Amino acid sequence: MRRLSDTVERIDPPRYPALKRYILYGTAAVLLAFAGYAGWLMWRITTEFDDRAWDLPAQVYASPLELYEGRRLGIEDLQLELQRLGYGPVAGRLGPGFFRRDGGTISLWRRAFVYDGRPVPEQLLRVELAGGRVESLEDGDGGPVAIAELEPLLIGSIFPTHGEDRIILAPDEVPELLTEALKAVEDRRFEEHMGVDVRAIARAALANLRAGGISQGGSTLTMQLVRSYFLTNAQTFNRKFREALMALVLELRHSKDEIMLAYVNEIYLGQNGGRAVHGFGLASRFYFGKPLVELDVHEIALLVAIVRGPSYYDPRRNPERALARRALVLEQMRAAGLIDEQTATAAAERDIGVVTPDSRRTAYYPAFMDLVRRQLRRDYDDEDLEQRGLTIYTTMQPAVQAAAEEALVEELERLQPGRPELDGAVVVTNPHTAEVLALVGGRRTGFDGFNRALDARRQAGSLIKPVVYLAALESGRHSLATHIDDEPITVELDDGRTWSPKNIDGETHGQVTAVRALAESLNLATVHLGLDVGLERVADVFERFGIEPRGRLYPSLLLGAVELTPIDVTQVYNTLANGGFRVPLRAVRAVVDGQGRTLQRYALAIRQVADPVSIYALNQALVQVMERGTGVQARRLLPAALRTAGKTGTSDDLRDSWFAGFADGHLVVTWVGNDGNAAVNLTGGTGASQVWARVMRSVDARSYAPPPPAGAEALWIDYRTGLATDSDCPEAVFVAMTAPEVPPKAVACGSTTTRIGSRIRQWFRNRLQ
Amino acid sequence: MKTWLGAALLCAAAAGCTTSPYRFPSPQPSSRAPSPQPSSPSSPRPEVQEREPSPASVALLERSRADRDAGDYAAAAASLERALRIDPNNALLWIELAEVKAADGDRDQARQMARKALTLAGSDGSIEARARRLL
Repeated sequence: MRRLSDTVERIDPPRYPALKRYILYGTAAVLLAFAGYAGWLMWRITTEFDDRAWDLPAQVYASPLELYEGRRLGIEDLQLELQRLGYGPVAGRLGPGFFRRDGGTISLWRRAFVYDGRPVPEQLLRVELAGGRVESLEDGDGGPVAIAELEPLLIGSIFPTHGEDRIILAPDEVPELLTEALKAVEDRRFEEHMGVDVRAIARAALANLRAGGISQGGSTLTMQLVRSYFLTNAQTFNRKFREALMALVLELRHSKDEIMLAYVNEIYLGQNGGRAVHGFGLASRFYFGKPLVELDVHEIALLVAIVRGPSYYDPRRNPERALARRALVLEQMRAAGLIDEQTATAAAERDIGVVTPDSRRTAYYPAFMDLVRRQLRRDYDDEDLEQRGLTIYTTMQPAVQAAAEEALVEELERLQPGRPELDGAVVVTNPHTAEVLALVGGRRTGFDGFNRALDARRQAGSLIKPVVYLAALESGRHSLATHIDDEPITVELDDGRTWSPKNIDGETHGQVTAVRALAESLNLATVHLGLDVGLERVADVFERFGIEPRGRLYPSLLLGAVELTPIDVTQVYNTLANGGFRVPLRAVRAVVDGQGRTLQRYALAIRQVADPVSIYALNQALVQVMERGTGVQARRLLPAALRTAGKTGTSDDLRDSWFAGFADGHLVVTWVGNDGNAAVNLTGGTGASQVWARVMRSVDARSYAPPPPAGAEALWIDYRTGLATDSDCPEAVFVAMTAPEVPPKAVACGSTTTRIGSRIRQWFRNRLQ
Repeated sequence: MKTWLGAALLCAAAAGCTTSPYRFPSPQPSSRAPSPQPSSPSSPRPEVQEREPSPASVALLERSRADRDAGDYAAAAASLERALRIDPNNALLWIELAEVKAADGDRDQARQMARKALTLAGSDGSIEARARRLL
């Protein structure tokens, strides 16, 4: 362009041949510039179309809910799960995707689906629930069903850009009524025009002239699609021109069906907090909580109404406007012969029918998706995930995820006053399979951002004490009844400095049993024990559990002077919780390609890395953490009959508050702290444990009570003396050891003074925490 | 009090001399399983239930056996994993999975899962016999 103006300035009127030459050059330059511009537009639109419309992002699914007799499940939970999956409640006859509740029974017509290449047919199921359990499960004919699964919840898709989400629909997933209605309302000559509808533009121009400004579009669907790609909403002539040109290019290169499908998957239809809702697939979920194919006439009409202005016609904020426009759309649908008079009238009388935006139903799980991406990145590159239409079956359980999010958010709110900005993380696994059931990366659960569960490296503190005790038990030199000194100790380090650890309460306790030292998280006893066993042995356990303390070993390792992320801690405790088998944590079960072939199964793989008797004994001591030690505050929040095992962790100066603990079937790890590493004045027992207990309470946790492994002597010992005792003695704790380690039996329940004195001390300790 | 302490220490020290750091389960089941009486309210007793496999895991087990007979070891393993999510402490499921792994040529996982079955077998001699064959 610049060259052109330079040329014009140099025009010299008297020299005719030169002028002619200049005009020639000038014209050529203008044509060239235009061709270049058109070429550039063409290149932009085609790359955008090819990149966007035909990329199939990986669709990511949660773990399917299993229904079987005896399963713990409340009727409200089942109803919530069905609603998450877009099942509609009905009072009368059932159809696929509907359920009916009659007292304690839920009847549902489960949709057909494919799970990991295995087709699951549609099925009528009758689920009788009582006392928070599935009492019976029957099919439509009243025959017993041993096990049935619901289809997995779609929890997201892997897209190159964040802040945007959509559910990509295949041609057969788009109802014809929708595409016909779009044509009738938005672009009547869609099938005939070449991307631009001159008559519509002329009509709009006339209307604009009358209105004295640009207010009407006359845009074809193709032009709307182009506009959506580039997201410029300025109503200028230049933009209109560009749109028209690009629309023309698209029409030359693609069929009407391809363009319509791209439109259905692309167009902007609303805003869900920070996320733009694109495409009718996601919009159907967002507004009605069910898949597009199940929408009724009035619902389709509402979506078509929203197209014109998702904010102006927002059915939640401006229901009257949306309803008025829906009536108009229904009328146009009738006029176009898509529906008859009767249907139109009936549909116009229906309620607006949008579901209330429930964070648990339209949830977005960036932290869990982050974990999924990281697991998959070992085997797939970004292009595979974003374009190849893969289906990814994950291990997430939506109900557990919702419980974990709610627990973290609400407990942090409660703990926040008077403290630096608190944040936290929660990881929940099934320890037997190491499947990650839930992962929360921070308080703002719906937003992408720093994923504390995976990336916050923090001092582990006492959380790692079980590793020291496991080394001691495996050494054969100590059992849970062993007495250890809880007395001051000064360790001389290699460089000549000295290290003098202290107990958290500043006290010393003389001779204590190992079980008590761990339960009450006594630092001095732990250091004595760890030094007796040897740092190498302790480091060896770390390594077997998958954590390698780097560099030289310092005695401070015994008290957790090692930085771990919540997911690292989860891996360590997962090995404890399942009896000493290391199982790599998994977020993905299988990856299936666009043709339904299973590309990869991440099968369960286990490795025994600890002596079963020692692990069993250690876990019994971790039960005592909950019953008598630093976990009692969390314990009080759990049902009395629920036996759990756990450990608190508190770093220096109360900067980090950790809790890791398990029941049978669930391991929960929680961390609470400040991103800037400021002291938050919370111990593991007062901060993270509150979040932990809340998660544990809301999941289907069963008591931790595995059978003692062969070679283990299970017995009751006195918590204070370590002598074998009767189970009904007040200080009796249930432990295990090898036969030769079994201590002699006490003559009575321990001395009276010990009993009363210790009880009072215990009482004080609990209150002082 | 002092003598008890001494006795406990002596016993613990003696135990240290006789146990190896790595123990393998002996064929004798534990003779001193916890007794099922109520204890002090603060300390619930572990109630080890030797639960019958649920109808759900039995159904999955049957499906897995059918897949295994048909030579589809991946599907057989997937069904057992599904059953283990329901019944994780069931030694029978673990030993079946170990045998599927062995049939599939994965000797390493067959051994590991047999060990897992052993830690859960309790007094079930048949599980133990099947595990021993794989170890």
